[in-house]
Amino acid sequence: MSYRYSAENTPPTPERASEVAITTHEHVYEVDPRLMELHVLQQTFPNWDTLRIMHARHDHLAWMHTHFAEKTVTGSELIAEIEDSR
Amino acid sequence: MRRGWLFVTTLERPSTDLVDRVVERLRGVLRPDQILTSKTDRYNRARVPAPFPVHRWRERVPDLAVLPETTEEVAAVVSIANELRCPVVPRDGGTGLTDGAVPLHGGIVVDVKRMNRIHELDLENRTVTVGTGINMLKLNEQLAKHGLIYPDDPASYPCSLVGGRIGTSGWSLIGSRYGHTRDLVLSFDFVLPTGEILHVGDGAGGKISKSSSGYQLKHLFMGHQGTLGIATKATLKLYPKPEAELSPFWAFDDYDAAYRFTGALARAGVATFAGAVLFDEYKVAYLRRDDEAYIPQPADVRALTCAVLYGWEDEVRVGGKRLFRIAKEHGARYLGDEISEGDWAARHDRYATPLHGRTKAGQVVPMSWHCEDAAVNYTDVPAVTKAWHEIVADLRRKTDVFDDWGMFAYTSADTGVDYLTEIDVGIWEQRLDDAAWAMWVKAKRDIAAAALAHGGSISACHGSCREGEVDLVPRELGRGFDVMLGVKRMLDPNNIMNPGKYLLDLAYQGDVSAQLAELRGPS
Repeated sequence: MSYRYSAENTPPTPERASEVAITTHEHVYEVDPRLMELHVLQQTFPNWDTLRIMHARHDHLAWMHTHFAEKTVTGSELIAEIEDSR
Repeated sequence: MRRGWLFVTTLERPSTDLVDRVVERLRGVLRPDQILTSKTDRYNRARVPAPFPVHRWRERVPDLAVLPETTEEVAAVVSIANELRCPVVPRDGGTGLTDGAVPLHGGIVVDVKRMNRIHELDLENRTVTVGTGINMLKLNEQLAKHGLIYPDDPASYPCSLVGGRIGTSGWSLIGSRYGHTRDLVLSFDFVLPTGEILHVGDGAGGKISKSSSGYQLKHLFMGHQGTLGIATKATLKLYPKPEAELSPFWAFDDYDAAYRFTGALARAGVATFAGAVLFDEYKVAYLRRDDEAYIPQPADVRALTCAVLYGWEDEVRVGGKRLFRIAKEHGARYLGDEISEGDWAARHDRYATPLHGRTKAGQVVPMSWHCEDAAVNYTDVPAVTKAWHEIVADLRRKTDVFDDWGMFAYTSADTGVDYLTEIDVGIWEQRLDDAAWAMWVKAKRDIAAAALAHGGSISACHGSCREGEVDLVPRELGRGFDVMLGVKRMLDPNNIMNPGKYLLDLAYQGDVSAQLAELRGPS
């Protein structure tokens, strides 16, 4: 968390990710603000809260993997094994 | 009062006097904290996630709710309701999408959440006996300590309950490996509409997986949407908790290629194969709006297939490599480990997602999620997909209340014979007035008719007792629907158990052959 209030409430400069989405923090996607002007307005989130939500989502997904199986086999491992066996 | 098309109900809401008498009698069999009459308690048990015009919420509010803790308490409640002719509606997680847990005529909601104990864990025979108010996620947390799992995995996994899975005969994401609820539940105690207690399983057994003794009653008491009674205690089949999981996602530049690949995966005969999911072009376009995994995908990603394997690690690796070789033959592009793992983990919990859709002008609007499903053979999936998108496109042309969120097709079995096809529709509930609701009901009827026209069943998963699709149930089941009416009348002579569902009020109206003929239409 930043020392100054203003720093916590100023997200990184957005970059366009697609015609309808932007990115702010790394791996954080947001709806283009121009599409949230009439029926649903965008809310202001402090940086720490945005990152907390993103990390919590990752924690949740990791928890769900271990809930269903002891470990995860990745596709990239199997592709490498197939290619090595040739 | 008319509901649906030809359906005339026979039961109105209980009078205030009747409700008072019911509460008085219930005080003789339940503690005060088990009888809920406050507005909050009743409104919270009036809805399920399926959309409904908010201004008509009041129609669905029960007169009271009860929280029994044993089979005997459930039987006592139902017995009183039957004697006093008061409707009873069983409610478990309340996550169903066809309104099974929604009261249509007030009465008593029997909320089973306090019946959530593990009664017996039999490690030798690999079974667990539980109260039906237990949730699968919480059950599996306990079973994991013994290296076991109960692999019933709906999209509502963190919040649905075992009893609701029985009442809806639920479908499981990993059912191609482990079977669905009907395969995983061995037996259960069941309270009939008269208050009598019945034990159903294969034969008389509690832990028998296959019997040829007598009629096979277990299936009759599953999937009835609470119209035949209340499951209270169930014995479930257990498996070793998988050592390994593999969940690859592949991209295609057109739907047809992804469709062919999905069929090839399902037909490959890999023993650890637990399911495959086909995402069509509309689904990928929808995900590109808002989903972090798909926003950055290149424009030539237009359809997707994912598969999932569970088992011992050595088995999963061998089976997985076979699927990757099939992927290469079909020109599939692997989407990478991060998306594959993240997106699969999210599939276990589709109810926790905040949802919004778009107006035709592109503005974001708050929308609730609804999906219409059907069971369709592999060869009919493309035609049903096309027909359903045309139906929803017609709705979208007329109003911004509806938004097409695309379609999935999920394998239901380990041979690839049939698929749960699902069209997801965003609905702007606050704008869902009577006119928009009528449009939606007609669309639901058209969606169900398209599934039937292609030899499918109206629902693989949700049930088919909501306005719209329910009108076509007599057509789908034919003479079987007459048998349903006879069974309902015999087991529930006073029509107290979840009245108003599945057109079953017809069972109490004498000769209904003309109404059924009209519902079925020309043969």
